[in-house]
Order: sequence, then structure tokens, then C-alpha cells
Amino acid sequence: MKLRRGLLIIGLLTPGLGLILALIGTVVYIAVSQSFGYYSLNGTSEFSTEFWSKMAGRKAFKRSIQYSIYIGVFSAIFSVALAYPLAIWLRKPFAGSNFIGAVLKAPLLVHGLVAAFLFINVISYHGILNQFMQWLGIWSEPRRLQNDPNAYGVLILQTWKNMPFALLLLTGAVQSISDDVLDAARDLGAGTWDRFRRIIAPLTVSGMQAAMVIIFIGAVADFSFQVIAGPTNKQSLSQLMVSFKGRGDWHSAAVVGVSLMMIALVGSAILAVVARMVMRGRIK
Amino acid sequence: MIKSLLATTALLASATMSFAGDLSSMSWDDIVTQAKEEGEVTWYVWYLRDDFRRAVQVFEEEYGISVTIPEGTAAGNSEKMLAERDRETGDIDVLAWGTDGFATVDLAPLFSSLSVLPADDGRVVELAGFDGGDHVVAFWGNQTGIAYDPAHVSADNLPQTPDEFAAFWAENPGKFGFNYEKGGSGPSFYQNTLRVVADIDFSNGEVTDERLAAIQPGIDFFNEHAENYVVTASNADSIIRASDGELWMVPAWEDHLAGLQNRGEVREEIKFYIPEMGMNGGGNGVAIPLNAPNPAAAAVFVNWLTSPETQSMFNKDFGTAPMNTAADDSFALVPNEQRAFRQVWGAQPFRGEVEASFIDNVILER
Repeated sequence: MKLRRGLLIIGLLTPGLGLILALIGTVVYIAVSQSFGYYSLNGTSEFSTEFWSKMAGRKAFKRSIQYSIYIGVFSAIFSVALAYPLAIWLRKPFAGSNFIGAVLKAPLLVHGLVAAFLFINVISYHGILNQFMQWLGIWSEPRRLQNDPNAYGVLILQTWKNMPFALLLLTGAVQSISDDVLDAARDLGAGTWDRFRRIIAPLTVSGMQAAMVIIFIGAVADFSFQVIAGPTNKQSLSQLMVSFKGRGDWHSAAVVGVSLMMIALVGSAILAVVARMVMRGRIK
Repeated sequence: MIKSLLATTALLASATMSFAGDLSSMSWDDIVTQAKEEGEVTWYVWYLRDDFRRAVQVFEEEYGISVTIPEGTAAGNSEKMLAERDRETGDIDVLAWGTDGFATVDLAPLFSSLSVLPADDGRVVELAGFDGGDHVVAFWGNQTGIAYDPAHVSADNLPQTPDEFAAFWAENPGKFGFNYEKGGSGPSFYQNTLRVVADIDFSNGEVTDERLAAIQPGIDFFNEHAENYVVTASNADSIIRASDGELWMVPAWEDHLAGLQNRGEVREEIKFYIPEMGMNGGGNGVAIPLNAPNPAAAAVFVNWLTSPETQSMFNKDFGTAPMNTAADDSFALVPNEQRAFRQVWGAQPFRGEVEASFIDNVILER
């Protein structure tokens, strides 16, 4: 009976979980193998730790790790921080709230590459922003805003693109909090900030964690925003991986790819734990 | 039913292979007849695909052979060719690739002999240090140089050496930009500057610690002047920012600039020259994979592509350096005497190590 039940469960899980495990498993297997010298496209396939040791000594690799984590963490924080007040504002329907919600989610429909090119057009040397600032008399001449060295452009794009996703998750979580709970808190003298800190934040922590983790994983692996609007003196891990692949160095590209996967896994776990502790008031 | 299908497939496969094998014993007229029977050819080329789709209409009308140009990148196309090399019949009839790309593979096990083409002494098989032998013929000549805005930079006073470029940067900070990735024009500029400043022989591909250390004077040169030049995102970004008036001088590809100007995407006033210190030139070749599905049509297409007439058309429409000596090159952006400054791309793996060092020690230090 137990065997039959076990087989039934496995059978039911196989179409979904099996496909996911097969697809992810093969990719991870190939990437890890290539990072250790196997599956060579151009040379001999044999075990080697040379690619890892060489990469560990490269300045570009270390800088890319720092830069990608910077983009991933701040994109997640900014997106969630912007989404929270909007989700609370849209918690109870009002005239036009559906329209506002739809407009706020519009960036989900725009591909990242398109957004990056639009952004570049706006901030380019003779773009709308420069012309506007000169027209106002604030700037006397155009300023070079494109590919800024601090990656503010990338963070703006990431936040613009990911905030609606965080909003989707947080709106549902915030709407699930009953009015009675919030009214009781208000009756007990809790102000706006206290209601957020003691009621809304702890009760929506799961949605917030999900938003943070998913946005972090996407942003840490950013390629399209980086190559168009990112700083030219820094490379994201994805960019570095593609540059190695472009030179035909698949093993080094695999090392970067595996590192990216590990950073996404470990980073998202740390982010989720820290976010939960902060939102539950354990870190003040 | 299955047996019939397998038998038909096997028959078709063997017939295809026999065509491929028989080309060498066929006359050119027979090859053309066979090509028309095949009726189609698939050309894998990674750039200007829309323009090429228009350009090959001449071929399609002349021979009645339809040409398909799939979407794809240079790396993607070449990797596909390598990945399907053991298939009996592949998807690629004609592969376009940079000569430096062809130089990375053993040609004979991958590509058919082009000795079946009619004799034409004007065809170019040796280009930028690469010899295509019987297997690769050049169809696209390109040259890197400097695009400049004559409204701000006098044609009589163009920088020709690294020191003169440094003087230009100092006089006009933030008006010179180059890319270090996504296109070869910027790398051509910085590698030739390194070559001249550090007196490095890039034709030697050997990598040693001493040779890599020897580029330090060139690295120092770029770091000393880092405040005065801009690093752009790509070839296209450089040209567009020059056309926009933000930058006054940028490294560029001659054919890329000419193509953008022909399509009205870049101002016609932007001019181009090859500095006396030298910048890299080279080109792209075509080859027919051994397992091409339409080998006769592929041969006829390659013959058309490398003919004086087609090469003259490419010079006029795309600004390329013609890859047939009998072609007309009067539409080039630079006079012939400047082509004497052409340098060959550096040999691998040394060039790759220099690129990595430049990124680590110049780009990431900005």
C-alpha cells in the first residue's frame, strides 16, 4: 500500500517536478563539468581545477561579483521599498484604483532591452532630460549621464522594471490583512508607522521575502540593462560570462556561470533571512 | 510505412552526399545546372542581414535560386557549424565568418574545396595574415580607423600617433571615446596604441610573463590620460555619439560607418581616416561546410559573392574594401594611400591576454 502510494505521488509529481529537475539538472551538470575542464568544445576534455584557480586570481572576476551583488541587493531593496507604500495605498479599492494599479504594472509588459534603449534616449547627451534641464536654465550645457560609473541608471531601470512585480506580491499580502486587526491597533493608539512596523510588516513578510528573492536573483544576473545603460568601467557577472564565451573560453565562462548560480542561491537565502529578521523587528 | 520512410531518407541522404562528392568532377556549367535544381541556398551571416537580403535579390533573379539568411550571431553560427559537423547533412550551405575565426579551426575537415569555382585571379584568399587556401575565400574587406566630426576637428590636423592623440585628449577632454568590447574598432585603437607605445610585436602569439609585462608603458599611457577620454559601450554607441555631436573622434569600422551613412542613420558629414600609427584591417570570408545540404547552389553563390560585380556593389552600397582585385573601389571612405597603414589583428592567444590585461588594468581602474 505504501509502495503504491509512493509511486502515485512520484507519478503525480513527475510531469512538473521531473521536468524542472531534468532541465535545471542538465544545465547545472554541464556548467559544473565545463568549469572543471570537461565538455571542451575546442580542446581536450579532462579534469582540471586550473579554470577556477585562474579565475579566483582575476581582478575582473572579483569586481564583477561585488558589482552584481550591489545591483542585486539594491534593486531588491528599492523595488520593495517603493512597492510597500503603493500596496498599502491600493489596499482598499477607490475610484480609479484599478486604473492606477494597471498603470503601475505596465513596466511588466515592456521588455528590459526596450526599456534600456528608451532610458538611454531620455538621458543621452542631447536627450530630453538634458534639453529640459538646459531649458529650465539649471544646466548651462549638456551633461554626460549615459553609462554612469555608479550604475544609478541600472538601479533606476531595475527598480522601474521590478517594482510592479513586488507590488503584485505585496498587494495580495496587504489585502489579506483584515480591517479588524488594523482598527484594533489604531484603537490601542498605534500610529501609521507602528501599524506598519507591528502589524503589516510581520503579516506580509512572506510576500516581501518572495519579492526580494526573485528580484535579487534576476538583478544579480542582469545582462541587458548592464550592456546598454551600465557603467563601462564595471562588468556584471553575466557580462563577464558572455565575454569569456565570446572569446571561445567556455571553461572560464562556466566558472563564472556556476559562481553566479551559487551567489544567487546563497545570496537569496541570506537576503530572505535578513529581511525576515528586519521585518519581524529582530534587527532594529 | 516506417521502412519506406527510412529507405527514402537514406536514399535522399546518399544522393545528397553523392552530389557533394561529385562536384569536383563536374564542369562549372553542370554545377550551375545542379544548383538550379537544388533551387535554394542558406547563407549564415551574422551582420547586416536585412541589407544582404536585399543585395542577394540580384543573385536570386539571375539564377532562380532563393537565398535564405537566418538570424544568428557570429559565435552562434560558427558554433552551430562546429556542433553539426558530424551530421550527415547540416543546415548551413555557406558560412560567413571573420578570418580570425576561420584561423581558429582546421579547415580541411570542415569545409569543401573551392577549387570547383571558375578560375578568377582577382579573388582574395590571403587576408590579414590568414590564408584560406582551397577552403575559404574573402568576400568582405573591412578596416578600422577614426571617424571624426569635421565641424570640430580639422582634416589638416588629424592625430596620427599616440602622442598626438594624447595631445588631442588634453586639448579636448571628453571628446574622444572608444569601446573596449562589443565590436572591434575600439580594441583596434587601444591595441595599436599599446603596440606603438610599448613596442610590442602583436604578430607573435606566444604568451609569456615577460611579454605581458612589456605592455606596461602602454597601460601607463592610457591611465595617465584616463580623465580625458571616454569609454563607450560598443562600436555603434561610439558612432552614434559622434553623429549626435557628443564626441568628436571615435574609432570605427569603415564599412559600418558607410552603411549607417548610406541608410541615413549617421550624419554624412562624419569623416573617416586611418592614422599613420596604423589600425587593424581584415575581413570576412565564406566557406561551404562539407555537409552543406545544397553544395552546388552554395558554390554558385560563393562565386557570385566574390565576383568583381558583386564586390563593386558592396563597395558602393556598404563601403567595403573590395575582395576582388578587378572590382571598383572608388566609393571607399579612405583614399588608397591610407590603406598602407593597415595593421593585421594580433595573433592569439597573446592578443586575448592583452585584452584581459587592458580590462583589468585600464578599464576597471577608471
